[in-house]
Amino acid sequence: MTWSVAIQEIIDEFQDIDEQFERLEVLMDFSEEVEVLPIELWNERNLVKGCQSIAHIVVEVTEGVVWMKAAADAKMVQGLQGLLSIAVNGSTAEQVLLLTPDFAEEAGILNSLTPSRSNGFRTMFDMVQNNVRMLIQ
Amino acid sequence: MKQDFPILSRKVNGKRLVYLDNAATTQKPSCVIDAMSEYYSLSNANVHRAVHTLAGEATEGYEACRKLLKKRFNSNHAIITSGTTEAINLVAHAWGESNLQSGDVVLLTEMEHHSDIVPWQMLAERKAIELRYVPVIDGRLDMEAFDVALDGVKLVCVVHTSNVLGIRNPIEKIIAASKNVGARVLLDAAQAVPHEEMDFKELGADFMAFSAHKMCGPTGIGALLVSNDAFGEMEPFMGGGDMIETVTLQGSTYQTNEHKFEAGTPRIAEGVGWAAALEWLSNIDLESHHKRLLSIASGVKDELIAKGMTVYSTLGPEDAAVISFTHPTIHPEDFARLLDAQGIAVRTGHHCAQPLMNKLGISGTIRASFYLYNDQSDADTFLSGIDRVLEAMA
Repeated sequence: MTWSVAIQEIIDEFQDIDEQFERLEVLMDFSEEVEVLPIELWNERNLVKGCQSIAHIVVEVTEGVVWMKAAADAKMVQGLQGLLSIAVNGSTAEQVLLLTPDFAEEAGILNSLTPSRSNGFRTMFDMVQNNVRMLIQ
Repeated sequence: MKQDFPILSRKVNGKRLVYLDNAATTQKPSCVIDAMSEYYSLSNANVHRAVHTLAGEATEGYEACRKLLKKRFNSNHAIITSGTTEAINLVAHAWGESNLQSGDVVLLTEMEHHSDIVPWQMLAERKAIELRYVPVIDGRLDMEAFDVALDGVKLVCVVHTSNVLGIRNPIEKIIAASKNVGARVLLDAAQAVPHEEMDFKELGADFMAFSAHKMCGPTGIGALLVSNDAFGEMEPFMGGGDMIETVTLQGSTYQTNEHKFEAGTPRIAEGVGWAAALEWLSNIDLESHHKRLLSIASGVKDELIAKGMTVYSTLGPEDAAVISFTHPTIHPEDFARLLDAQGIAVRTGHHCAQPLMNKLGISGTIRASFYLYNDQSDADTFLSGIDRVLEAMA
């Protein structure tokens, strides 16, 4: 699959890392890419279900452009949210709906996470797409 | 001892595996793996039925497990189950349904594993029985509250050794006090049997539930030991093959021994594997290993505290070598993930004991649990791993 330049850069960055510990460190660095959802906006509706840590995601679509805000108590989940933010923020709704979560696998990120966390990533990914789908209807 | 466990020679993420998730499940020595493989290669057949040679060998292999259980734990009755959870559920159904009536009281503790809470909550819904919980104070059972709560209780269900904290409860006192008020006693011994020699008759409990996989045996098999008196009070729970004596279209009669509670084809290969594990364990001095592991764990505990962790395990002389801890800012999941990246396996989360987590005021811990094959080098690697995590997260 052909990815956007931003996603391809992420894949290349992770593929260059040999050591698992370093890969996780880099993943956590991506937490800085998240626009943080303030704690007072955390609620049951934006809670990510199926994730072992507490995580929330809110998606907005303004004039056809997608933007997500997120928060989580675990740094690695914040990192995953950062990756998602890079993948979706500023893209059109149509582009986001065409995305697949495979890029995380190609980067070797999903293999480096527990099944529950991997499912958490997929849950977050699906949550973003479902929200976008709902918002443009 | 490490050489007896093939898995311990593998690498995880390019590093030597340091397995410290033993309270979840223990690794298996070669003799267990070989016994199961040999069973499937040479003797696989169904048990208790056919007269051919393979069926005889399979039956012998499976029943050897029961014999070893009875001998090791000094019990007249050993019902083979799928594990501790099924064993406790079996008591709830086979004993609870026919011996507890509306308004009867079952006493539990806040320290119980979900497996020793949920079956009783389900029974309470079916039978309108009352559930009481002995509180936990500073990580230990409040024994004064236990004495008060015991009034009018029909059944006491208590965890022998906590899977979260490694704390060994004063089981002997609990059983004696329960017997004084005429209550039956169920011990959740899942975390106890791996760490100490136990004499079921001498303890005087009525039921004791545990799993093979926590004591070097296979997953998917466990046992319920039952006292003579309680055994006579149990009614069959699941119906089907193997548990019957005769079946006619008008009705059935049942076996009178443990088979009465073991409907269907049992876990034969697992029974063979567990028998091998029990034989292997019979040559291990659990007491000296317990002291050795507790000493290693105590050293680790001190280091963790010095590194700024909050440690919830007290590691008293009788407790299991289990260390549950948290860091003030690093999420347990991040911690465990970064340890795994260094080949170190620990558990995180609520450890299937959410009421206890609520009592401790936390959502989860990181848990390092030691077993027979762990040594000081594992502890040292674990502590170096912790240092690297702290450095990375600083």
